[in-house]
Amino acid sequence: ATSKKVITREEWEKKLTDVKIGKEDTNKLVMNFLVTEGYVDAAEKFRMESGTDPDIDIATITNRMAVKRAVQSGNVEDAIEKVNDLNPEILDTNPQLFFHLQQQRLIELIRNGKVEKALEFAQEELAPRGEENQSFLVELERTVALLAFEDVSNCPVGELLNISQRLKTASEVNAAILTSQSHEKDPKLPSLLKMLIWAQNQLDEKAAYPRIGDLSTAMLEDPAV
Amino acid sequence: MPASASAHRPEDLISRLRSAAADGGANLKALRELKNQIIGNRTKKLSYIKLGAVPSVVSILASASADVKATDADADADALLLQSAAAIGSFACGFDAGVKAVIDAGAFPHLLGLISHPNDKVVDAGARSLKMIYQSKLAPKYDFLQDKNVTFLLSLLNSENENVTGLGASIITHSCETSIEQKALSDAGVLKRLICLIGGSLCQRDASLESLVTIIKGNPEVVSKFLGPESGRALTAVTELTKDRCPRTRLLACMCMIVIRNTCPCYLQDVGTKTKLVLILLELLDDPGQVGDEAAFALSSLIAEKEELQKLAFEENVVDKLCNHLRKGPLQAKRIQGILLALADLCSKLESCRSRLLSLQVLSMVTDALSHDSANVRAAACLCLKSVTRSVKDVIQNLSAGSFMKEVIVIPLVQLLHDTSTSVQVAALGAISNIVVDFTTHKSLFIQCGGVKQLAQLSKSMEPTLRVNAVWALRNLTFLTDNRCKGGIFLELTASALASLIGDPEPSVQEQALALVRNLVDGCIDSVEYVMSEDGHILHAIGRQLQTASKPEVLIQGMYALGNVASGNEFHKEAVMHQLLPQIGDTTQSIIIKHLQNNDSRLRTAAVWALVNLTFPSSPGAHGRVVKLRNAGITSQLKNMVNDPSLDVKLRVRAALGQIMTFGDGST
Repeated sequence: ATSKKVITREEWEKKLTDVKIGKEDTNKLVMNFLVTEGYVDAAEKFRMESGTDPDIDIATITNRMAVKRAVQSGNVEDAIEKVNDLNPEILDTNPQLFFHLQQQRLIELIRNGKVEKALEFAQEELAPRGEENQSFLVELERTVALLAFEDVSNCPVGELLNISQRLKTASEVNAAILTSQSHEKDPKLPSLLKMLIWAQNQLDEKAAYPRIGDLSTAMLEDPAV
Repeated sequence: MPASASAHRPEDLISRLRSAAADGGANLKALRELKNQIIGNRTKKLSYIKLGAVPSVVSILASASADVKATDADADADALLLQSAAAIGSFACGFDAGVKAVIDAGAFPHLLGLISHPNDKVVDAGARSLKMIYQSKLAPKYDFLQDKNVTFLLSLLNSENENVTGLGASIITHSCETSIEQKALSDAGVLKRLICLIGGSLCQRDASLESLVTIIKGNPEVVSKFLGPESGRALTAVTELTKDRCPRTRLLACMCMIVIRNTCPCYLQDVGTKTKLVLILLELLDDPGQVGDEAAFALSSLIAEKEELQKLAFEENVVDKLCNHLRKGPLQAKRIQGILLALADLCSKLESCRSRLLSLQVLSMVTDALSHDSANVRAAACLCLKSVTRSVKDVIQNLSAGSFMKEVIVIPLVQLLHDTSTSVQVAALGAISNIVVDFTTHKSLFIQCGGVKQLAQLSKSMEPTLRVNAVWALRNLTFLTDNRCKGGIFLELTASALASLIGDPEPSVQEQALALVRNLVDGCIDSVEYVMSEDGHILHAIGRQLQTASKPEVLIQGMYALGNVASGNEFHKEAVMHQLLPQIGDTTQSIIIKHLQNNDSRLRTAAVWALVNLTFPSSPGAHGRVVKLRNAGITSQLKNMVNDPSLDVKLRVRAALGQIMTFGDGST
C-alpha cells in the first residue's frame, strides 16, 4: 500500500462536474486556434455557427496564409514580396528571419539543380548577411556546404533539403507576421494541454486518481489500487 | 525576375525609376522591385544610396503627393505613394547613412503629409517610415516646447491607427531629452495617454513603455505624477508586465521600474522587487537578439554604484552567468560591450565578485576585447579591467604571473593610450592607474613598455578628462616608489610641465598634479630636490595654488606636498616658510593661518603636519623658525586649536605645540 491518497472515479467525476467552464470560453479557445494556425474557411464557418468573434480580421489571415503557403511550396521570392506588401518592417527588423528566408531560397536553387545561379546567389545575397552578422556564419557554412556534394540528399547537411526545413521557415514567417499584428504567435490550446500534463505529473506524486493517458481521446483511466 | 542582381542591374533599375516619370505604371514596377531588393539588405541599401537612388524615389513621392491634392482617391497614385514611402522607410531603417540620405532628399515633409491621407494603407506606410527616421540620432529634433507641436503629438497618440500611435511614441522616445521637455509633455496629458496605451495591443504597449522610460528618466516630479493617484494603478500595470510572455515587453517593463528606482530611490526598495528584477534580466540575457543585448545594459543601470544590489546579483550567480555568455562566441559587438560593462559594474566594489571573475578564467576574453574593432567594446574591456584591478589580493595572486601580466594586460593597455577614441583612452588610463599603484613589478613593467612617455604626453592633451586621468595615473605610479622610478618620471615630465599642471585651469587636474608632487617628494631627502629645481619653479606653483585655490581637495594636496618638502633639509624648510608666511611689508593674512582656520578638518590636519615638520626640534634652524611662527601669530592660533573637534587635528596640534614649547614659551 502506498502513502498516496486514493481518489475514486466517482469522487473525481464529481469534482470535474463542479468546475464550471463557460461555452464562450471554449469557443474562444477554438477560434484562437483556427485563427492563429490560419484555417480561414474553418474560422469563418465557426464564426457563423457559434457567433464567436475572431480577434483578428479574417482578411489579414488570408494574406498571412498566402505567405505561409508560398514558403511551404518553395516559392520563397514570392513569399518575400508578399510579406513586404503586408508590412515592410517585418523583414527589415528581423535579420534572423530574413537570413532564413534567403537561406531557403538558396536551398531551393540547389534542389532544382541550378548550381551556377546558386553560387551566384550565395555570393551576392548570403555572404553579405554573414558579414553583417557573425552569428549567421555557422548556418551559412552549412548551407553552402550543400554545393560541395554531388549526391546532395545523402550528404551530412542533406536534412536542409527536407520539407521540414521549409515548414520550419514557414512557421518562423507566420510567427513574425502575427507578432507584427500584435497577436500572440502561439495558439493557447497546446499550452493548456501542456499545463494539463504538468498538473497531472505534479499530482501523480501525491495521489492516485483517474488520469488522462491519451490526450486524443481524453478517456479517464481508473487509478491503480 | 532573376535571383541575383549582377553588377549593372542596380543602375538599370535607377534609370527606369528616373526616365519613366510620366509613365506611372513603369515607375510602380521599378519602385516595387527596388523596395523588395533593399528590405533586410543593408549592403544593397548602401549601394543604392551611393548610386543616388534616394532622391529619385523622393521625387516620385513628391509628385504623387502633389497629384493626390489635385484629383480624388486614385488607386495608381495611392500605390505610388505606398511603394515610395515604403522604400524610403526601408532606406531609413536602422541605418544612419540611409536616414541622412532620406532627410537630405527632402522626404520628411511629404511623409508627414501622408498621415492625414484617407487611405489607411498610405497612412500606415507614412507613419512607419517616419518612425524609422525618428529611431535615428539624425532625425530632426522635435520641439516639445511649442504648443502646436504638442497638440500634433497628442493627435498622433490618440489615433486609432496603431502605426500612428507608434510614431507618436517613437518621437517621444528619441527626441525628448531635457527635464523641461519631460515636464511639458507630462503637463499636456501625454503621460496619461501613454499609461492608457500600456493596456493596448502588444505593439502599442511596447512603444508606450519605451516612451514612458524616456519621460520619467531622472525627473522626480514626473515620477511622482506617474506614481500618483491620477495615474491610476500605473505602477501595478508595469509590474505585471514584467511577467509578460513577450521578452521585449518584460525588458521594457523592467527598464521602467529601474528608471523609477534610480530617479526616486525611496520607491521599490524591498528586497523581493530587487531580486525579481535581477532574475528577470538574467533570464532575458538568454535571448539571442536585441532584447538580450539590451538586457545587459539594463542590468548595468540597475546595479551601477549600488553595493547592496551588486551583492544581491552576486548571490544570484550573475557573474557566472555573464561569463558563460561571454564564452558563447562569436558575439555581436553590442552584446560583448553590454556584458563587459555589467561585469565592470559588478566588480566595482565587491572583492567577492572580482575573485569569482578571475577564478572563472575569462580574463583572456576580456583582454582579447582590448583589441576589438569597436571602440565601445575596447572601452568596456578597459572599464572591466579597471574594476578588477581594484583588488590588491587578486592582483598579486592571479595577475602577477610576470610575463602574462606584461604581454596580456600592460602592453595592450599602453597601446590603447593612443587610441583614436578619447573614451577608450580615458578608460585605459583608469585601468592603468590601478595597476601601477602597488608593487614594483607592475610599476617597472609599465615603465618598460614606454608607459611614462605616453602618460606625459596625455597630460598635455587639450581634453581635460585625458589630462586628469593621465596625471592620476602618474600620481599612482609615483606612490611609494623608488628613486630610480621617480627620476625617470620627473625626467619625462619636466619641472615646468609639472608646474603648469599645478596651475591648470581645471581644479581636478590641479588636485592630481599636487598629489603627484606630494608622492614625488615623499620618502628620502633627495626626492625633495625635485621641487627646488629650476629656481623652485614647482614650489612657487604650489604656493600660488595655496593662495588662490578654493576647492578643498586641491588645498589639502598642496598642503601635504609642502609638508613633505618641510621634512627635508634646512634649505627646504626655509623655502616652505617663505611660501607659508607673508613677506615683510605684506599685510595679508598668512595662508597658513587661513588654512588652519578652515572648516574642513582634513585641511587643518594637513596644515598642522607642515608645522610639525617645520618645528622639528633637532634641526638646526628650528629655533629661528619657531620665533618667526610665534611672531606671525601661529603659536596662538595653535593654542586655540588644542581642543579641535577632529582627533587627527588635536593630536598633531599637541605634537606641534609640544615641539614649540621646547624652545621656551616665548615670554620675554
